[in-house]
Amino acid sequence: MKGITIRFGEVVANNNVTFELRKGEVHALLGENGAGKTTLMSVLYGLYQPQAGEIIVKGQKTSIKSPNDAMELGVAMVHQHFLLTVPHSVTENIIVGLKSNGFFLNLSSAERKITQLSEKYGLKLDPKATVGDLAVGEQQRVEIIKALYRDADILILDEPTSMLTPQEEKALFSTLQSMVNQGLSIIFITHKLHEVMEASNRVTVLRGGKVVGTVNTSETNETELAKMMVGRPVVESIQTKGPAKKPTVLQLKKVSALNNSNIMFLKDLSLELREGEILGIAGVDGNGQAELAEVIAGLRKVQSGEIVMGNRPITNIPPRKIREWGLAYVPQDRLDTGLILEYSIAENLILDRWYTGEYSGKVFLRRDEMKKFAQKVVSDFEVKTPGIDVPVNSLSGGNLQKVLMARELARNPKVLVVHNPTRGLDIGATEYIHKQLVKQRENGVGVLMISLDLDEILTVCDRIAVIYEGKIKAVMDRKDADVEYIGLLMGGKAVLSSEGAS
Amino acid sequence: MSIISALSQTRDKVKDVKFFVPFASASLAFVAGAIILGSAGVDVGNAYAIMFRGAFGSVFGFGDVLLKTTSLILVGLAVSVAFRCRQWNIGAEGQLYMGALGGAIVGISLIGAVPGIAILAVIVVSFIFGSLFALVPAVLKVKFGVNEVISTVLLNFVAFLFIAYLLHGPIKAPGFNPYSPEIFDESQMPIIFPGTRLHAGIIIAGLATVGVYYLWKSKIGFEIRSVGANIKAARYAGMNVGRSVLITLGISGGLAGIAGGLLVSGVQHVLIEGISPGYGFVAVIIALLGRQHPIGVAIVAFFFSVLMTGSETMYRSLGIPGAFSMTLQALVLVFVLVGQLFVIWLSRRNGRGVR
Repeated sequence: MKGITIRFGEVVANNNVTFELRKGEVHALLGENGAGKTTLMSVLYGLYQPQAGEIIVKGQKTSIKSPNDAMELGVAMVHQHFLLTVPHSVTENIIVGLKSNGFFLNLSSAERKITQLSEKYGLKLDPKATVGDLAVGEQQRVEIIKALYRDADILILDEPTSMLTPQEEKALFSTLQSMVNQGLSIIFITHKLHEVMEASNRVTVLRGGKVVGTVNTSETNETELAKMMVGRPVVESIQTKGPAKKPTVLQLKKVSALNNSNIMFLKDLSLELREGEILGIAGVDGNGQAELAEVIAGLRKVQSGEIVMGNRPITNIPPRKIREWGLAYVPQDRLDTGLILEYSIAENLILDRWYTGEYSGKVFLRRDEMKKFAQKVVSDFEVKTPGIDVPVNSLSGGNLQKVLMARELARNPKVLVVHNPTRGLDIGATEYIHKQLVKQRENGVGVLMISLDLDEILTVCDRIAVIYEGKIKAVMDRKDADVEYIGLLMGGKAVLSSEGAS
Repeated sequence: MSIISALSQTRDKVKDVKFFVPFASASLAFVAGAIILGSAGVDVGNAYAIMFRGAFGSVFGFGDVLLKTTSLILVGLAVSVAFRCRQWNIGAEGQLYMGALGGAIVGISLIGAVPGIAILAVIVVSFIFGSLFALVPAVLKVKFGVNEVISTVLLNFVAFLFIAYLLHGPIKAPGFNPYSPEIFDESQMPIIFPGTRLHAGIIIAGLATVGVYYLWKSKIGFEIRSVGANIKAARYAGMNVGRSVLITLGISGGLAGIAGGLLVSGVQHVLIEGISPGYGFVAVIIALLGRQHPIGVAIVAFFFSVLMTGSETMYRSLGIPGAFSMTLQALVLVFVLVGQLFVIWLSRRNGRGVR
């Protein structure tokens, strides 16, 4: 790809980007969110047409107008969010949409080919399994085989490790190696440095839509890459205090709850959160994290067990009461649950307190007070917005999260539950959110941070609990935390030690 | 900052187009209608001229336009209030009939009351009747999760048949036709413009429009809007979703009920089976085209009223059947909706990647 330039309105997403992929290499594409990585790859995959530049595939100058064109050139993309139909089998998902399908599907020959492919590249997979029953790592293998089945030899992986356990991640990296050994070429989009170091042969760093440089992985290190990526040195980790024994602000006693499919998903879960600490909940997605957050917030019914906040029982109490008693909650889904996208900043900020005398009279909302609040938040939290009256869907992810955090923190909570608070945010916004969490801790708030990002948990938390299949497997102080051990616990592999859950 | 300025600029451009597109779309609907008329051998220019004259050419005709507007505003508001809460109330017609029944009951039983009080009673009772009838699907939805689209559609037939039963038996006036007795004078809406059929109900429609406008600025309105915009976020923020649904459908049914009460009290003075020519169904189109905004609903209601009144004249003068009026309404809907899709497509194309 030579001199690729693409603009959206006046925003230049890629500025004269030149990128070269050699046959048989894993090439990492590194950059912060918004650096233009995904845009560049979308150009290669035919989703966007560049305003300038050319694409040369296997020595041939080509124009890629659609994913179908890309597919024909052997380029395939595995998206961050899988595009699979959950009730169908692995085979059905793989052959869907192929032109060679007749009126009746020839599943058995497809299954043979899938088995061959999975053996060739060491991608263990049962072609007859239902996709909905598979773990995230296995679903990813389905996506990869789907690409290989279509004879792709250039594979784009968009942040492939974001949902994987450390073990699954290792397995993926070894698969990548065996694929390049057999002549495939792989582009690996990521913003995690250690992944670049572990998995790639070369790395191209993007910043602000421009190429900072391309280097051989063996000739660089994480610090250098971090500098290239952010253009400034990164603060390594945030200071934590020693674990002084403080009073408990939130306690879950043998709590059980159903998930959305009415399966018991939290099983006798017990947990204790102390004043002035950040307790991290580590775990692979889908082990009861969402359910845990929701039972605390009163949004999910507790089947058995008890939850106590301060000295008040809050088991199956309406959400509004729990909030009034001092809970703040930042849900993982800021777009779908935390905020109403067509509302303005002001309206979003009063979503949980519109009924209070502060922001409404007997009948009507107090627009002036709402606006004052919004202006204060915009300046205090440095929210970048075209104005306080525009719908928040014009804000970037980091700014949306700031608005959401601002609303929750303005409650002066005793307990703050945050779920994946920095997912999808760039380094700057992530740092900002982490600082806010630490500030809350300094003020004596008990912070429960549920996160899929183990690095994040290791960076900010005082204590770490590991959740697996709806139970807390172990709780440890951060200074005692060992990544390998946590990884094993997250995968459910470690034997439960006797002191186990607190 | 460049992102922000780029954003606001594309938005301005889209705003200009947004304003213009619905009118262009509606005009195109008339062109399509002209093709249909032309292919049936009708002199199109003459037909549209007669339609225009029917609506604006006489005081009586224009009075009728405003009369129909009154009904259409009320049912249009009814449906749009429900839509704002994402409650697809397709039962405004049935609620209108129940409101008409309520109005008729007041009208034929209240004798000797002060006229103002009687008329107020008609409005209040027709609101309550429509409201209670809409609460049936609301309760079913909140308690048992019954889809309100199906329940409100089906309850229309319950209302029609219930009123038919009453008119053929319990409240039938002596005589051949299945009519209720005539309501007493005290309960009749006064005509506000001599020489027309236009009654004081249009003031009530105007008040309802203003009322709904302020509803959205109120506390309860904020709760209703939030539930409609994002039910998950509303529940998360501690809002009472069930209560919002009940209140919304209660208001919605009540507004449709007033439309029915006014048809008895201001136009027919008796309850009859076909008291509404399907206002409650046209209301769905009006709410969609008016984008659930009270002012938008009022404007679209007026426009549709012109269309309906003009079409009646076309029928009387040229024998063009009433079905053409409905065809034209449908064409306007289709064209304007496609126009909205065009605007959405345009803003996506301009805005792509900027977010």
